[in-house]
Amino acid sequence: MLKIIIPTIMLMPLTWLSKKNMIWINTTTYSLLISLISLSLLNQPSNNSLNFSLMFFSDPLSAPLLVLTTWLLPLMLMASQHHLSKEPLIRKKLYITMLTMLQTLLIMTFTATELISFYILFEATLVPTLIIITRWGNQTERLNAGLYFLFYTLMGSLPLLVALISIQNLTGSLNFLLIQYWNQALPDSWSNIFLWLACMMAFMVKMPLYGLHLWLPKAHVEAPIAGSMVLAAILLKLGGYGMLRITTMLNPQTSFMAYPFLMLSLWGMIMTSSICLRQTDLKSLIAYSSVSHMALVIVAVLIQTPWSYMGATALMIAHGLTSSMLFCLANSNYERTHSRTMILARGLQTLLPLMAAWWLLASLTNLALPPSINLIGELFVVMSSFSWSNITIILMGTNITITALYSLYMLITTQRGKYTHHINSIKPSFTRENALMALHMTPLLLLSLNPKIILGFTY
Amino acid sequence: MFSSLMLVSLLMLTLPIMSSIFNTYKNSTFPHHVKNTISYAFITSLIPTMMFIHSGQETIISNWHWMTMQTLKLSLSFKLDYFSMIFVPVALFVTWSIMEFSLWYMHSDPYITRFFKYLLTFLITMMILVTANNLFQLFIGWEGVGIMSFLLIGWWYGRTDANTAALQAILYNRIGDIGFIMAMAWFLFNTNTWDLQQIFMLDPNLTNLPLLGLLLAATGKSAQFGLHPWLPSAMEGPTPVSALLHSSTMVVAGVFLLIRFHPLMENNKTIQSLTLCLGAITTLFTAICALTQNDIKKIIAFSTSSQLGLMIVTIGINQPYLAFLHICTHAFFKAMLFMCSGSIIHSLNDEQDIRKMGGLFNAMPFTTTSLIIGSLALTGIPFLTGFYSKDLIIETANTSYTNAWALLMTLIATSLTAAYSTRIIFFALLGQPRFLPLTSINENNPFLINSIKRLLIGSIFAGFFISNNIYPTTVPEMTMPTYMKLTALAVTILGFTLALELSLMTHNLKLEHSTSVFKFSNLLGYYPTIMHRLPPLANLSMSQKSASLLLDSIWLENILPKSISQFQMKTSILISTQKGQIKLYFLSFLITLTLSMLLFNLHE
Repeated sequence: MLKIIIPTIMLMPLTWLSKKNMIWINTTTYSLLISLISLSLLNQPSNNSLNFSLMFFSDPLSAPLLVLTTWLLPLMLMASQHHLSKEPLIRKKLYITMLTMLQTLLIMTFTATELISFYILFEATLVPTLIIITRWGNQTERLNAGLYFLFYTLMGSLPLLVALISIQNLTGSLNFLLIQYWNQALPDSWSNIFLWLACMMAFMVKMPLYGLHLWLPKAHVEAPIAGSMVLAAILLKLGGYGMLRITTMLNPQTSFMAYPFLMLSLWGMIMTSSICLRQTDLKSLIAYSSVSHMALVIVAVLIQTPWSYMGATALMIAHGLTSSMLFCLANSNYERTHSRTMILARGLQTLLPLMAAWWLLASLTNLALPPSINLIGELFVVMSSFSWSNITIILMGTNITITALYSLYMLITTQRGKYTHHINSIKPSFTRENALMALHMTPLLLLSLNPKIILGFTY
Repeated sequence: MFSSLMLVSLLMLTLPIMSSIFNTYKNSTFPHHVKNTISYAFITSLIPTMMFIHSGQETIISNWHWMTMQTLKLSLSFKLDYFSMIFVPVALFVTWSIMEFSLWYMHSDPYITRFFKYLLTFLITMMILVTANNLFQLFIGWEGVGIMSFLLIGWWYGRTDANTAALQAILYNRIGDIGFIMAMAWFLFNTNTWDLQQIFMLDPNLTNLPLLGLLLAATGKSAQFGLHPWLPSAMEGPTPVSALLHSSTMVVAGVFLLIRFHPLMENNKTIQSLTLCLGAITTLFTAICALTQNDIKKIIAFSTSSQLGLMIVTIGINQPYLAFLHICTHAFFKAMLFMCSGSIIHSLNDEQDIRKMGGLFNAMPFTTTSLIIGSLALTGIPFLTGFYSKDLIIETANTSYTNAWALLMTLIATSLTAAYSTRIIFFALLGQPRFLPLTSINENNPFLINSIKRLLIGSIFAGFFISNNIYPTTVPEMTMPTYMKLTALAVTILGFTLALELSLMTHNLKLEHSTSVFKFSNLLGYYPTIMHRLPPLANLSMSQKSASLLLDSIWLENILPKSISQFQMKTSILISTQKGQIKLYFLSFLITLTLSMLLFNLHE
């Protein structure tokens, strides 16, 4: 694992030692190379995990998320170029350093073997993200958004620390690899119910669960483009990853503790989708759509069947790439119209036809058009929830319908219709932007050829 | 061996798309290239079809193993049975003609290349749908045709109406998809497979739930009553799109799905009678709506809807082969009717109102001929294409022991078919011209003439050929009294005469006060007025007021972040603005100290 972590750390000196005109190209190329190295992790020859050391390991669940993380850094760098073009050199370097630091921490989080080190790294990712949001955001509301982001996540995750210490006392180890062999059921007591809550709430806030999701739209709307991308693509998935990991040792509490959260997710999924139908703010719409998709992941994880785990893993990867691409597209609109309001960007298809094609593809993957991996994820989740309870198909079906509606509503409002006068003099789309979209789209398309590498450990 | 030729012809279709990826084509010739490819694919597909008719050998081809999840194996597999073997050449033939027609109709469009790519992509997804052997592959085609219809309806994206219609189509299709996904989930859960032949082999009991799902899916895709309004709205798209998607191919996908699942359906009487009633309501309701429309494309769209209802009725009386026969014959004349109306609309400078046409039989003799033959075939006049399927369907319904009420509705709808067909002929073709005097009418374009001519020949002869090649065992030989045999023809002729007489009689009368019956028909049974206003309004205001404002902005915001910060603020204000009352503070310390001392000591 060090062969990925150390090069990522070395990105920081590279940034600071690069010449002024080379910082972007150097870092982008170098991080792209790192992501190519990480691809080898997808080959998991044995059914167990790849143990590299006492500290780090990788298995079919963490490998796709890890690859997604490394893949996203060059994309973030490409996306931020225009946003930072007016900043002085030193701040650009600082910004890249922050992104790299976040990347390093995320890689270590996904590969940590110890729950405690996972926890520490999980918390540590907050720091660079907070700096990115509050330092490089566009409006003054960013401070408020940062506050929400920090406090929601911290409040959720502090009980986890206590829970972890108590588990350490109970079992003597917090090693992921050992815990799966520790098959004792937790005794049925009040304290264990609180243990369950403490363990799950940290990740449910991060996902976010409906009701605890307020920080997400705020953070997304105020964050700079790279912040939105990494937030939607990776940080939300930390929650899903943590839940998938920690539910193995919370039996049998999950079987009855899951009900309120399942209900809340199923309900919240429809609520947030309907909020999307009334959004005028593009980034807020995408953020709410993330909440709705992540609710599916929560449902899948709580149902706890092999199919639902496969669905959750696939959906996390698919949604990571799709929502990140949507944010990039929203940003490319923002850089031209200087507004996030959708109606002000209408009719862009006439002026930027290639960008319209990307919009179309992104919307179609967002609404889970077969055979994209988004569909595979959603379909598996729907299948497992149907077998859990037949009635959920009504809620799931409603959500599928609303998802299609708001995705296409977004497409029609931004791309179709008559164009407005103030966009007469906009810049054409750059090769950089088209490459950025292509780099999002290609993995989505290629993965649908062979989805089994992202189906997680129950495949 | 011959069945692999079918795959070759399917593969051929992807070649123009591939060439567009590698940019090895010229823009000006690309549409011709697409048209030729489809004609070659059609000719290639004829060989395996003929061999199939000769030998009757059904094939399943499984070639690419996609993935195996737990116990479910998914691979790329094609089912080449009677239905797909006959439908593929028919669809290719119709598409070929429509592509040629589009060369004429869309020639001034700057994005004609893209238009052809869309049409071709649609055709490919339709072929996937028809030939799929497992539900997942079927779903790919199913969603693919839905999305392509979205793109093609919204082709003129500057128009609000086109965008609305496109979104409407997706909405109704998606409601149907819920049913499809539910059926998929049920089959996975109960039969542990998505392969069609395995599902039929296991023949699960209690199939109400999945078949209801499939019926819902068919209702959405084939615009049956309840989910029907998208089909007339879809006429916002270009006429070739209406001809291809919304009459001959995409909309029959729902019927096709039910035909595919007839091995399960034929044992389930509940679903069958549901299907029958649904079809009967649709066919009558849409026929009534068609009667008073003035937009020529809307009339033909409602007539399509009515015919789809007839197909569903046929499935309801447990005759999937007849329904399939009607799908095939319907494709020919309905596509042709749309192309004729396209020819008229184009010549009259985009005038779609039949009240502003008239006398076209002098100006456009060829279009007139085709339109009349198409209408006659639609009404089922003997020995034209429509006769072979429609007459059989009504005879079978007449002689079956089913719901007499549904049967009566179907018969009335059949009669109304003749009535609205007469109306088109009467208003558009006969009488005095009512269009603007200076429109340049020209129908002498080889693309137009050839494409319509090909379908014209199909509309006369195709029914004979296809019905001759249907399995003799599947349609029972029927004997019936003469009056029953002549019922279908009699109601049709009745419709014709009545409509003609009424039109002649009322031609010069003025409509002072529209009656409530007229309003019902003209406003589409008030269905769009009600369903497109109240539920969306309720839904959107719910999402705005309840979900967004009440829950997100007020409750969730207040309960957690705001109340906590308020609390902190209050306490810090309370504590930091102390008044310097040192004595009082020390006194309070004293009290707590004493209390804790006492408590700790008592504990010992």
